[in-house]
Amino acid sequence: MAATQPYRIPTVYESTASGLPALRPYFAELRSRRRFIWHLARTDLKAEHYDSAIGQLWVILDPLLLAAVYFLLRTVVKPVGTGANRNAIIAHLLWAVFVFTFVSNTMMAGARSLLNGRGLILNASFPRIVLPLTSVVKGIFDFLPTMFIYFVFAFALGQPFGSALLMLPVILVIITIMTLGLCLLFAPAMVFFRDTVGFLPYITRIWLYVTPVLYTVREIPKSLVPYLRWNPLYPSYAALEQVFRAHWPSPAYLVAASAWAFGFFFVGIIAFLARERDFAVRL
Amino acid sequence: MLSDSERAPAVYVDDVWVSFRVTREKNQTLKGTIAGLRDRSKRAMLIEALRGVSFQVPAGSVYGVIGRNGAGKSTLLRTIAGILPPTAGRVAVWGRVTPLLSLGVGFNRELTGRENILLGGLTAGLTAAEVYDRFDAVEQFAGLGDAIDFPMRTYSSGMFGRLAFSVAAHLQPEIMLIDEALAAGDAAFKQKSMEKIAELCEQEHCTVLIVSHGLEVVKALAEGCVWLDRGLVRMEGTADDVVSAYMDEEHIEATSATALEDV
Repeated sequence: MAATQPYRIPTVYESTASGLPALRPYFAELRSRRRFIWHLARTDLKAEHYDSAIGQLWVILDPLLLAAVYFLLRTVVKPVGTGANRNAIIAHLLWAVFVFTFVSNTMMAGARSLLNGRGLILNASFPRIVLPLTSVVKGIFDFLPTMFIYFVFAFALGQPFGSALLMLPVILVIITIMTLGLCLLFAPAMVFFRDTVGFLPYITRIWLYVTPVLYTVREIPKSLVPYLRWNPLYPSYAALEQVFRAHWPSPAYLVAASAWAFGFFFVGIIAFLARERDFAVRL
Repeated sequence: MLSDSERAPAVYVDDVWVSFRVTREKNQTLKGTIAGLRDRSKRAMLIEALRGVSFQVPAGSVYGVIGRNGAGKSTLLRTIAGILPPTAGRVAVWGRVTPLLSLGVGFNRELTGRENILLGGLTAGLTAAEVYDRFDAVEQFAGLGDAIDFPMRTYSSGMFGRLAFSVAAHLQPEIMLIDEALAAGDAAFKQKSMEKIAELCEQEHCTVLIVSHGLEVVKALAEGCVWLDRGLVRMEGTADDVVSAYMDEEHIEATSATALEDV
């Protein structure tokens, strides 16, 4: 039996100067780990609200209550009026909060994924990108039911529906790619500078205020647009706003949103892959 | 029996060095880094965990790794598993490496034992179908009875260890790395584990590397053995010779403490 061994190709671990791993085998290995990612995400989901009475309902309830709080906040700042105007504001708040919750929660989970996956990293061998990817898959699991809730509300509130909604998945995919990019950037940052954990909640809070979540794109004063449009989420939100009003999204917004998304994604993936061999040492 | 040089290796370790910097502060922080820019020596010290280690493990054998705490045993296993990159040198492995470096890696305590078998198998790099094929064997070997359907947070550490070992031992290991992992579990289960390791080698041509302070176990199970001392290979040879030399040097008597204590 031993005689068969030399004909097999060995796996070799060598010292290489820090840099990218060989990409083809890396992504082949990642591909074979699809089920693993899927199950890790499901496990997180199952375990998360295991001990609370209404359990996984929180996934929906949490952003819904948040939207309710922001609605109160808005009515205090500026009366929203009645009828169609109020309904439009409620609908906007709902989707805007749901999408932002997806981005910020996923980014936060992805950033922590390496620290939380310490045991796995130190004791098992797999492409480390599995961990932030799992956070994104889990984020999508959490997000999809909230979109369903949005459409129930939008229908009840008499919001317009149109074929432009076909563009919704495209914009959401763009946002997801950007979120993944941010996870890939922040996760290694968290390993090398643990302080990042403390800063991130404040970064997301500021990000919330400069993103058209509590207000609509059309409400932004003309003088502020040149500044706010540099927010990476601005073009995606502007496009989403058009889609949810049953208008086709402006190509300029889609192009800008994609540019941000792929920019973050490529910088993130290179930063991550270049550093991933060091994670086991640094954790 | 063929001599070592005539048998194909399953693991080949060639002049492997592993060194890393450890910070003295518990966690690396921004402040620490800025302060460290001024005084680098304060910031980190270089640990040379392995300093030019070479040996090979013939396929289908049990191989022991012994040495004091901090000799580099765990680092060596992590390097062979591809978890820690070597700083210099080269490791080649023929076959799938199943590390059992810590118990229940990938297990989630909120899930049932049954769900964790799948999760543990996927963590080890198997496909879901491969795991399902061996489900019954894992369950039976672990011998947890009805507890298999309870969340693992209700398990004792012994039960936890039994399931973890069962998963690792049944999911087609080709090269198994065991780091003191059998310390959990009662005497009967330890005995069962040892028999399973021997069976894997003989019947399925699995190669096992075992790090242990249980010297009698190494003597009983292993053919070859390497003795690490502060990152260097102190001695390599048959398990009997190496273990005896180690025990002489460390003035250890062959007592029960060296027997099944930490398999």
